[in-house]
This record gives sequence, C-alpha cells and structure tokens, in this order.
Amino acid sequence: MMNRDSQREFQVLGKPTPKKDAPQKAAGRAEFADDISMPGMLHGKLLRSPHPHARIVAIDASLALALPGVRAVITGRDFPGVRYGNLPQTRDYLPLAIDTVRYIGEEVAAVAAVDEDTAEEALDLIRVEYEVLPAVFDPEEAMKQGAPQLHGQSPGNVSAHTESHFGDVEAAFAQADYVREDVFETQPVKQGMLEPHACVGLWDGFGKATLWSCKMSPYAVWRQLAMGLDIKPGDIRVVQTYVGGGFSGGKQEAMPMDFCALMLSKKTGRPVKLVHTMEEVLIIGHMRHPMKIWLRTGTTKDGRILAQHVKLLANGGAYSSIGGFSIFLAGAMINLPYRVPNMKFEADRVYTNNGFCGALRGHTVVQMCFARDSQLEKIAEDLAIDPLEIRRRNAIQDGDVTANGFRINTFAFDECITRVAEMSGWYNKKGKLPKYRGIGFGCGAHLSGARLMGHSASTAEMRMLEDGTVHLTTGSTDVGQGVETVMSMIAAEVLGVTVDDVHYLKVDSAATPLDPGTFGSRVTLFTGNAVKQAAEDICRQLAEVAGERMGVDPRDLMFFRHEIINRKDEKQRCSLKEIVRWGMFQQGRIFSGRGSYGYSEEKIDFRTGHGNLSPAYNPTACAVEVEVDPETGRVTVVGLWGADDSGTPLNPLAVKGQVIGAAVMSIGHALYENLIRVDGKVMNPSLRDYKMPQATDLPKLADFKHSNVITWEPEGPFGAKEAGQGAGTGVIAALANAVYDATGVRLTSLPMTPEHILFGMKRLQAQNRGQ
Amino acid sequence: MTYLKRLPRFEYLGPQSLAEVCGMIAGTSRDEVMLLAGGTDAILQMRRRERVPRRVIGLKGVAELDFVREQADGGLAIGAMTTLRTLLASPVVGRRYDLLRETAAQIGGNELRNVATVGGNIAGALPCADMSPALMTLGARIRLSSGRGDRWLPLEEFFPEFGRTVAADDEVLAEISLPPPASGGAGTYLKFHDRHSMDMTVVGVSAYVVRDERSRTFGDLRLAYANGAPTVFRAKRAEAVLRGRALTEEGLEEAAETACAESSPRTSWRANGEYRLELIRALTKSAIRQAWEKASSRQEARP
Ligand SMILES: Cc1cc2nc3c(=O)[nH]c(=O)nc-3n(C[C@H](O)[C@H](O)[C@H](O)COP(=O)(O)OP(=O)(O)OC[C@H]3O[C@@H](n4cnc5c(N)ncnc54)[C@H](O)[C@@H]3O)c2cc1C
Repeated sequence: MMNRDSQREFQVLGKPTPKKDAPQKAAGRAEFADDISMPGMLHGKLLRSPHPHARIVAIDASLALALPGVRAVITGRDFPGVRYGNLPQTRDYLPLAIDTVRYIGEEVAAVAAVDEDTAEEALDLIRVEYEVLPAVFDPEEAMKQGAPQLHGQSPGNVSAHTESHFGDVEAAFAQADYVREDVFETQPVKQGMLEPHACVGLWDGFGKATLWSCKMSPYAVWRQLAMGLDIKPGDIRVVQTYVGGGFSGGKQEAMPMDFCALMLSKKTGRPVKLVHTMEEVLIIGHMRHPMKIWLRTGTTKDGRILAQHVKLLANGGAYSSIGGFSIFLAGAMINLPYRVPNMKFEADRVYTNNGFCGALRGHTVVQMCFARDSQLEKIAEDLAIDPLEIRRRNAIQDGDVTANGFRINTFAFDECITRVAEMSGWYNKKGKLPKYRGIGFGCGAHLSGARLMGHSASTAEMRMLEDGTVHLTTGSTDVGQGVETVMSMIAAEVLGVTVDDVHYLKVDSAATPLDPGTFGSRVTLFTGNAVKQAAEDICRQLAEVAGERMGVDPRDLMFFRHEIINRKDEKQRCSLKEIVRWGMFQQGRIFSGRGSYGYSEEKIDFRTGHGNLSPAYNPTACAVEVEVDPETGRVTVVGLWGADDSGTPLNPLAVKGQVIGAAVMSIGHALYENLIRVDGKVMNPSLRDYKMPQATDLPKLADFKHSNVITWEPEGPFGAKEAGQGAGTGVIAALANAVYDATGVRLTSLPMTPEHILFGMKRLQAQNRGQ
Repeated sequence: MTYLKRLPRFEYLGPQSLAEVCGMIAGTSRDEVMLLAGGTDAILQMRRRERVPRRVIGLKGVAELDFVREQADGGLAIGAMTTLRTLLASPVVGRRYDLLRETAAQIGGNELRNVATVGGNIAGALPCADMSPALMTLGARIRLSSGRGDRWLPLEEFFPEFGRTVAADDEVLAEISLPPPASGGAGTYLKFHDRHSMDMTVVGVSAYVVRDERSRTFGDLRLAYANGAPTVFRAKRAEAVLRGRALTEEGLEEAAETACAESSPRTSWRANGEYRLELIRALTKSAIRQAWEKASSRQEARP
C-alpha cells in the first residue's frame, strides 16, 4: 500500500491545470448535440399531457399528418410496449405513454417535420381524447386508503421502500441522557444545467440505430434504449457529444426524446433532431426528491450520539427513475460523517402525479445533511456544548468501520473542522457578531462512487500513436467537471508525457470500452484507476522493447519527460518516440493498454443495507456567514469557508471549481430554488422565475475560501477521492444554522424564504413581548 | 397559464411614423391588433396564447418615438420607444432624474434593458412594472395618440384595473412628460425581490420627497407602489400624513400604516399578500427616509 511518504514527486498531477476543452468552448467551437446538422435532417417535437392523471382514450393524428411538411407522427403504440428503467424492480417508464398519463408534461406523441415550427404546429392538430382521472400530489395523501393509484403493481403508491437497522436503537434510546425529535422538509429542486437535453437519432434502413446525444452515462442510455425498443444492444450505437452541464437527471438516462428521435427516424428514413426548450426541461421530471424527514436522536450528556432513528417520506412523482437507490443512499449516509453506533432507517418513496424525481448532484445526501446538522446544532445548544466540539466528539476517524459496514480508509474530518474554524474566524465571530449577522457550521460527507448491483466496474483503453501521443478512451464523460483533463493528466503522469499528448476521446458505444459513465462521484476514483492501469500496461509493453534495445532489465526503466530512462544509470536513456517507432515499424507491435477497476470483491446487501458501498469516503465542513435584513427577512450570504478531504487533489484547479460549484448549488437549494407546483402544474418554468442564484447572490470570491485537507487515499489513483459533490452537503445546514444565529429563527423547511424568516422573527418578538 | 408555444401566425406591419401607426390601428380592436415594442412581454403573451392578434405592429421603426429630450420649461420628454438602456445612458436623466436611472437600473439584466422600452413597461399595465411607480411620483403625464388627435393625462389615471389602461383601442402611448424636478426634491425606488438581482418585483415603492428647507418639513411627498394592489397606484392618504411635518419615527410609522391600509396586495405563488403588506410597511419607511436624506444632503451641498 502506498502512503504519503512513498508518494513521489509528480510530473503532471497536483498542478493547477486549465481544462483542455476550454479554448473550444470559449471559441464556440465545441459541437453540442443541438449544433449537429445532417443532410435531410428532420426536427421533432413532443406532445405533452395537459392533465396530471388521465386515461388516453384515443389519439387521432390525421390532421397533423396532413399538414404540409410533417413527415411522421408516432404514439406509444409505435413502440413495443416494454417498460424500461434503472433498477430491475422499478421499470415503469415507456418511451411514450400508451394508455395512461401520470403527470402534466408527460410525453404522449411525437412529430417529425421539415422544421421545428411545422412540427410544433402539428402538435396542435393532434386530437387526444382523455378521460381525466382523480390525481394525487401529496405523498401522505397518496398513501392513504382510497387514494388514486398511479401504477397497478404498487399498492399504496409506494414506489420503493427501504429499511435498515444496525445495533439496537430502542435499547440505545433507553440509555440516552438526551433525546430529541424534529421534522424537516425539503422542496423540489432542478438540475439547472444550461444545455437543455438534445439528441439526433438515425435509424438506417439496415436495422442499425444511432443516437448522438449529450449523455453523461452513454452506456446506461444504450442499455435502456435496447430495453424500450426491444432490440439487441448491438444494433444500437450511442455517441456522446459535448455535454453542457449535467448534474444527473435526464442526461443519465434514456429519455422519451431519445426514443422518439430514433423511432421517427425509422419511420421517415431521415435523421431526426429533438431539443428541449428550457421550459420543457423545467416541467418534465428529473429533479431532487422533496422529502419529509423525521429524525430522532439520542445522545449522552456530553453530546455523543448513541442512536439515530430516521423516517423518510420522499415525493417521487409519477415514475421511479433511480428513486429506489435514492432513498437507499439517504439511509446509508446517516453513517457519515458522525459515529452512529445504533441506527434505524425506514423510508418510503411514493408515487404522485408530479414530475418524477431522481438523482441530482449530492443526490439525497444533501437533504439528510440539512436535517442532521441542523438538529445537531440544536442538541449542542440544549446541552451547552460548543457546536464544533460536538462535531469533533462524534467525528468518524481513519480506520473506522461504521455500523452499516462502511470501511473508512482516510477521513480527515477533524482537520476539516479545524481549518474551517481558522479560515472563517469562527471563535471571533460565533456569538460576537452584530445583530442580524450570524455564522453557522455544517458538515457532510460523500462517497467516491457507489458499488451497485448492476454495472459498476470501470474500464479504460489506450492506444499509442507513432508520434508518442496516445488516444485514451473510457466510458466516462466530461460534463464540464474536467474529466477529460484529469484522465489525461493521470495517463500523462504514468507515461511521462504532457497532458496535451493525451487525446481523450468522447464515448461512442461502438468504439469505447464499457463503463457506466459519469455519476455518483465515481469517475476520478473508478475510471482514474482504470486509466492508470491502462497507462501502466502500455509502459510495460514499451519497456519490453526499450529494455531489449538498451540492454536493460525492463523493470529498471522509468518514463519521464518523453524519455525512457534506466533508473540505475540515468545516463542510459532514449526517447519515447524512438522506442514507439522502433516497436511499431520494425516489430509490428500495437502498443495498446487496458485497465479496469471493479472493486467488487464484496457485495452490498441492499435488503439489509449492510456493506462497504464505496472504496472511499470524504468528509467536508463549512461555515457560512449571513446578514439578515430585519425589515424584509432577506438573507445575504457574506462569506463561505469550506474544507474538504478530497484525498490528493490531482488537478487543484478543477477541485476548486468543483467544490465552489457544489457549494453554490447548495446555496441555491437553501435560499432560492423551488419548483413551484399547483395541482401538478409547474408555475415557474423559466429561469427568470425558477430562481437559481446569480453572482450577486453569492459571497465575493475573496470571502469564498476553500481548503483541501490533503490525504493519500490508498484506494484512489495517486491518492485521490471525489470532489464534486461532498462539498455541497454541509452548506444548507450551515446556512440554516447561520440564519438561526443571526435571528433566532430556526427554519426546518426549504427554501428559507425571506417571508419565513420575517414571520419567524415577528413570532419571536411577539413571544418575547408576551413573556 | 399555458406553457409556451411557438408564436401564433400573424401579419407583421412595420410602420415608420406615428401617423402610420395611428392609421393602422384606427377602427381595430385589441383582439385583432397588437403593438410590439421591445417584445419582452408581448412575445411571451403571444407564446402563451394570452393574446392571439391577427396583426402585429412593430414600433421599432418609428424613430420619432425614440427620444429623451430636455424641455424648454426644464422638464423632460421621453418617447415611448426609448429603451431602458437609452434612458440609463442619457446624461440629462443621470443629472436631473436619478430616480429614473435608479429604477431602470434595477429592471432585468443588460440583455433585457437593451430591448425593453419605457412605453412597453407602462402600457403593459402590470402591477409589477417598475417604471410606473417612479414615473408617477415624478408627476408624469402621458400622451396618447390616435387618428383622432392627441390627448394628455396624468399617468396615475392610466390604470383603471389589473392589466388594463384607459387607452382606447385606437390609441398609442407616444410620450411621457415630466415636470422640472422640484427644488429640494429627491426620490428613491426600493424594489424587493428574492434574488439580489435580475428578479421580478415582489413589492416596489417609489418615494419622492420635496423638502422645505426653511421649515425642515415635508413640503411634498409622493408615494407609488408596484404590486401593492392590482394596479400600480399612488397612496395619497399616506402622502398626506407627512405633508407639512418634520421627519419623525412616528410620522413614518403612521405613513407606512396608512399606505398598508390603502394597499390590497394579492396572494400568488410568487408571494403571499400578508408578506407583501409587511414589505409595504418596511419599504415605505425606508424609501421615505432615504429620499428625505437625499434631498437634505443636496440642499446642504448647495453653496
Ligand atoms: C427576464 C425578464 C425580466 C424582467 N424583469 C423585469 C423587471 O425587473 N421589472 C419590470 O418592470 N419588468 C420586467 N420584465 C417585464 C418586461 O420586460 C418589462 O415590463 C418591459 O419594460 C416591457 O417593455 P417592452 O418594450 O418589451 O414591451 P412589449 O413586450 O413590447 O409590450 C408590452 C405591452 O405593452 C404594449 N405596448 C408596448 N408599447 C406600447 C405603446 N407605445 N402604446 C401602447 N401599448 C404598447 C404591448 O402591446 C404589450 O401589450 C421582465 C421580463 C423578462 C422577460
């Protein structure tokens, strides 16, 4: 096992490296799916349900088909009727609804026409006869007897249920000196990527279907397309385009638009493009689960957590997406970043007639951390313990095994807390700030990729070109987070070349190796390990040739700055290119490396929740300072200081971008964003009214500090762990705690609107007067 | 509310003069014809099918509606087609009507201000429009033109009810005219919204104070509100509370209470009426105080 001391000086890694694709993007040369144009290409549009719940009695498309310029209209009946989805037990999607629609915005039919306008005009001409059914929007209502049922196979509308129990919660509560219960509620939040979903489908006359699309996880899409179209995966090809932000959701799955692009192409023999409008992005499913979290915690007098019992109700919307795993993850992550020796978790994800929910950066960890770290602050207050001290007392340490079986290698949580205290000036501020100014602390944790039941192994392939540069392929995509750059850096480090010598190709299911793709913070660790191995594989092949030519034992050779050098006699060296050409031209060699990372020697038991879900875990801590306007209740975030143990940051520049980005998204979640729905209808489907934070809503960069607590994670490639999600998990609680510090108002539901804060302050004033 | 669709089919006309515009709309109804200024609201209305006109008359080519002019009497004339960007860049506005500059700067973002017009903001008759309260407190009068001729009326008489104006179907809003700024006068527009910028108004308060230098009292006070009621309106009883009085905390409280009593904000998914009332109370006080302070410091700064 490598440790910090044996870490050698890096050639490429560890240096802030700008993203390789930045020039293309800045120059407007990056080709996104919507930029694709093909000869004869048609444009598709989707007809959506105006009803939250209805039976489709009949669809008459004759008028639409008669409109000049319209080339095809399809409905659910044009597909084989096979349901698809993420988890085998919750396959409930159809490419287009067949007999029932379950939310406003659900896709009912699709049109292909010579241009977008004609396609849209045709939508108005499709006559759909609906029989409106009673609808239910609230999960508690949906579980009641007599509530409208969304899916026949799910009585009580429970789309997924999960439970786990470790230790003995009842006994621990009986022993506890202190017990409290709270309920927290969270709202629906959208991914908010700037590039709407887009795709081009081409189904040639010989049974082969190709989809070009901005997918984060092309292989997941590939498999789902095969499922829903009921054809062999081998007959489908998925080609990834540039991805303009993902944050999970529709870019991780096959969407109705993808199926329709292909089916419309099959019908017309032409390529068909579909692009969502931002309004469509906002009204369709794919969002963070709104949750009601009931949390009971028992501690000793000195604030040590003895037990936590969580009941969670998630409003899943009309379909499952990845929801079964979403609630499982929420339960698993109760075990981090604090020691919880006894824990019990019971969760239901419920179908309602709303847009459906799934994954979004931070997944369900974000909601759990909001609840847990808000409550922990109350416990600290009740027990008169310093809020940082109570966190230290419960902090998970290196080498711990959690109640549910997470095996912790590196976890520099204590140091994260200490750094944040220093950077934020915590002890000079806490309790000492002027009126209506407050500071709050929040912590969280994340994992570096989850081992799932289905496909979780990563692979990489690398091919050396005759000029000494390489083509690197994996199944992981750059969605703006910098995968292209960091994977190139890993390869370059091993091969002794520069980042630009590595060409990181986009995923193409016909050419790149199988890999689940980008989600769950898995890429740097899983794919990174595979890339490292692939590069080492090529080095071995090159060393063989070089050793022979130089008369040196290949094991003594090292790769440094485009040269292959004898470690024992550094004067003995030859250029990489020379060896490559010699091997290729004279010996007919193909230098091609392969690597994989599976980490599946042990299985997670998804029924009990026991098992080591990820190779590595990372803690985070942050402090947020706010100012509250006592007249209006409006919050201004004046500073944010975060520290994260992302292992060894391979590209510190990208890590910085990721942690700040994650924190910003959580500020949006905490204060501004809310997909407002009235009887299932989205009221704010524009980026004017769905309020993502803007630069003016964030602290100035000078007051937005981040520190990497550097550890050497043995499971990570070159000691690395994830950086994209963990940093957002503690922010919401920190904000809630800061608002409390500033005003005395404790908010347990999100977003924390000025209205809630103002009326909270007024209630407090009234109480104080009453006393 | 319907979701956005493509634009409906319509005939587009691009007149070059006000007379032509008047000719085109003479004898038509609001259902048939729609005027298009910057289009930042109008396009959305059509895409939501709230309006499905047969004809759209684009005003972009009517150069005579695009001006900001100092008047002989020291007042200001603003053409209806003046964009917010032009208004912001106008030296005379910066120098003498900083309330307008302050207000326009708070509307939307740069992209929006480049195309959105003053006329469109007013004529849309939305209760959340930000220019109207500021213009009302500055004593704006507006000119409506039609084939029948021109008529002038005070802006505060323009909005009879939510989303409507008193303009007849054949009338165009052509010009907004402001009297010269009063000596000792200063105003401020406070706009509350959830985000810190680029956001629609939850409540907006414009306060214009004319400070009597000798008596150190409110010589005049004008208050107007966005989203305080179904239309932008002036709170005349609240204004009267302070006239002739000095600035005191009690006076401010009283004026704010009166303004609340005069308001009837609605509850929508954007905000609750109850919360808007709280904002009206708080912002009325701050706006008056800030306008008062501006007026005082200007008087003191004078040699
Ligand atoms: C992203 C975004 C942000 C916004 N932010 C704000 C904000 O912060 N504050 C705010 O007040 N508004 C805001 N708006 C609303 C809108 O942009 C403004 O009200 C704008 O000033 C309207 O002007 P326009 O020139 O675009 O008018 P248009 O959209 O062209 O017209 C609006 C209405 O007025 C009518 N009309 C236009 N000109 C005349 C005329 N000369 N005579 C008679 N009728 C006429 C039109 O027929 C139409 O009914 C925002 C809109 C968007 C899309």
